[in-house]
Amino acid sequence: MSSHHISTAHLNNRVGPVLRQGALAKAVVEAAEADNPDRVIVVEDKVAYVRISTDGEMILRRTTIEEMLGQPFQMRDLEVELSSFAGRIDNAEEYIRFYFEKTF
Amino acid sequence: MTVLNRLDWYNIARDTNWTPTYVSDKDLFPEELTCAFGLPAEAFEEYDEPYKTTYPEYVKVQREKDAGAYSVKAALERSKMYENASPGWLSVLKLHFGAIARGEYSASSAECRMVRFGRAPGMRNMATFGMMDEIRHSQIQLFFPHQYVSKDRQFDWAFKSYDTNEWAMIAARHFFDDMMVTRGAVGVGMMLTFAFETGFTNMQFLGLAADAAEAGDWSFSSLISSIQTDESRHAQIGGPLVQILVKNGKKAEAQKMVDISIWRAWKLFSILTGPVMDYYTPLEHRKQSFKEFMQEWIVGQFERSLLELGLDKPWFWDDFLREIDEQHHGMHLGVWFWRPTVWWDPAAGVSPAERQWLEEKYPGWNDTWGHCWDVITENALEGNMAKTLPETLPVVCNMCQLPINYTPGPKWTMRDFPLTHAGRDYHFCSEGCRWVFEQEPSRYKDHQSLVDRFLDGQIQPPDLGGALKFMGLSPGEMGDDALKFAWVEEVRADRIKKAS
Repeated sequence: MSSHHISTAHLNNRVGPVLRQGALAKAVVEAAEADNPDRVIVVEDKVAYVRISTDGEMILRRTTIEEMLGQPFQMRDLEVELSSFAGRIDNAEEYIRFYFEKTF
Repeated sequence: MTVLNRLDWYNIARDTNWTPTYVSDKDLFPEELTCAFGLPAEAFEEYDEPYKTTYPEYVKVQREKDAGAYSVKAALERSKMYENASPGWLSVLKLHFGAIARGEYSASSAECRMVRFGRAPGMRNMATFGMMDEIRHSQIQLFFPHQYVSKDRQFDWAFKSYDTNEWAMIAARHFFDDMMVTRGAVGVGMMLTFAFETGFTNMQFLGLAADAAEAGDWSFSSLISSIQTDESRHAQIGGPLVQILVKNGKKAEAQKMVDISIWRAWKLFSILTGPVMDYYTPLEHRKQSFKEFMQEWIVGQFERSLLELGLDKPWFWDDFLREIDEQHHGMHLGVWFWRPTVWWDPAAGVSPAERQWLEEKYPGWNDTWGHCWDVITENALEGNMAKTLPETLPVVCNMCQLPINYTPGPKWTMRDFPLTHAGRDYHFCSEGCRWVFEQEPSRYKDHQSLVDRFLDGQIQPPDLGGALKFMGLSPGEMGDDALKFAWVEEVRADRIKKAS
C-alpha cells in the first residue's frame, strides 16, 4: 500500500493481482517485471498470498508467464490462484490487464 | 482443430435477451425481484462483465481448484494438525465454519435470483457460475470440519448453528438474510457481490489465510484462499451495475444499498474476524493485526473502488475508521465473558506478552479495555470464577443483533441510539445501525432480538440455563476459556518473579 495513514490510505492507484502462494505466483512476479519494464513492481509476501502491484496499469502476457513457468500455460488457469486483485480487470486469452480508471 | 477465440463468440452465445410473447416484460421481470428502480431493459444493455468466463473454462478451472484443496487436505490428514494446534486456533476454525458454511447456501440462492431476474445477459451468465461457486463453498466448508466432529462436538456446529437461535447465529443470519435472501437481483449485485464480496470477504478468506499459514494450518489456508478465487471472479458482477445506476440517475439509490451493506458487514466482521485475528490466533502466528488487515483490504483496496466507479465514501466513514481501532475489542470481551453462550472456546488472548502486543498495535488499549481485563484477571487469580461469568443476557442492538458496547475509560461513555417506531422502542449500538433501520423500517420492525424474545417469555426458565436451552447449547458444546485459564498462571508467575 502506498500510504500508511488510514484516513488517506485509499488515495492510491495500485493495481495488480493477489495470488495464492506457489509456483505460479513466482512466475507471475517475473512476468510482471518482464511485461511492464517501465514500472516498479512491488511484491508483498503474506505467506498464504502474494500481493503484486504497480501504479496505474499492469499487463501480464500468457507467453511470458509460460516462459517463466517453464510449461504450457492457459490464461484461464490464472484463476486457480487469483484470490483477489486491486483495480479493474480485463481478461483475454493472450493477456490479462489490471488498470485504474475513474469512471465519473 | 482450430477453435475460435473466446471473445469471438462469447457475446453471441451469452446474449439471451429474447423478446417474450406469451407474457409481458413486466411479468417476466417483476420489479420486486429485479429491483431495477424502474429502469428499462435498454439501460442494462451496456452491461459488460469485466471478468469473462465460459462454461467449459469454468468446469476445467473449478475441477483444478477442488483437486488442489482436496489434495492438500488429504496430504495433511496425518499431520496431527488437530492434536498440535493451539486451542485458540481450533476456536478460529469452529467460529469460521459455524458462522459461514451454511450461509453459503443463502449466497447461492441470492446468485440464483440474479440468474433468473438479472436484467443483463452478462449478469445472468456470471451469476450462473456464482450460484455454483456458492454451492461449492457450502459443501467444501461442511466437508472439511466434518473430520473433527468425532474429536470435538463443537465442530458439529459447522452444520448445526444455522438452525439454532444461538445469539451470534441470530446476528449472522439477520445480516445474511438481509443482504442475500431478501433482495432483488440488482440489490444482490450491489449489496452482496459488490459491497460484501469485493470488500469484506477478503478479510475472512485471505487475511485469515495468512494467519492460518503462519499457524501451520495449510489445509485451512489453502481451502479459504481457494474459495476466494471464486469470489474474486463473481464479485465482479456488481461493478458494471454501479456504473449503470449512476449513469441513469440512480446514484443515491446505489449509494444507499452499498452503504447499508458496508455498515452491516463491518458490524458482523467486528465480532467474526476481529477477535480471531487479534486474540485467538497464537501471538507468534499473527501476520498482521486486524486493523492492519482492514487497512490493506477495506481501506486501501475497497474504499478506492467505490470512488473509482462513481460512488462516494459512505457518510459514516469517519465513524467506521474510528471503530476499526476499537469495536472488536469490545466484541471480544463480550464473547469471552458470555462464553457459555457460544459454540466455540474463546481464547482470552490477554497474557502479559499478548497485552504488550495489543498496546503496541492499539495504543491506549491498556488504559481502556485493559482495565476490564485487569478486573477479570484479578478475579481469576483469586479463584472467584463465578465473577468471570455472566448472570444475565447482554443488551443487543436491534439491527446488528450484537452486544451494545463502547470503549471503556475513566468516564462513563456508554451510548445508546434509541428509536421509537410505531409504538415500539428500539435500541441500536450506533448511528449506523439506527440509520439502516430508518431507511426501511417495514423490513426490520418485526424482528425480535434475543432480549426481546427473553422479555416476551420465550426463554424459559428465564435465566442463563433457560437461555442456553433456547440457544441449543448442551454441555460439551458450550464455550469455555480456550486455554482453561493457563494464561492466568502466566500472570501469577510474572508477579512472583517481579516480587522476588
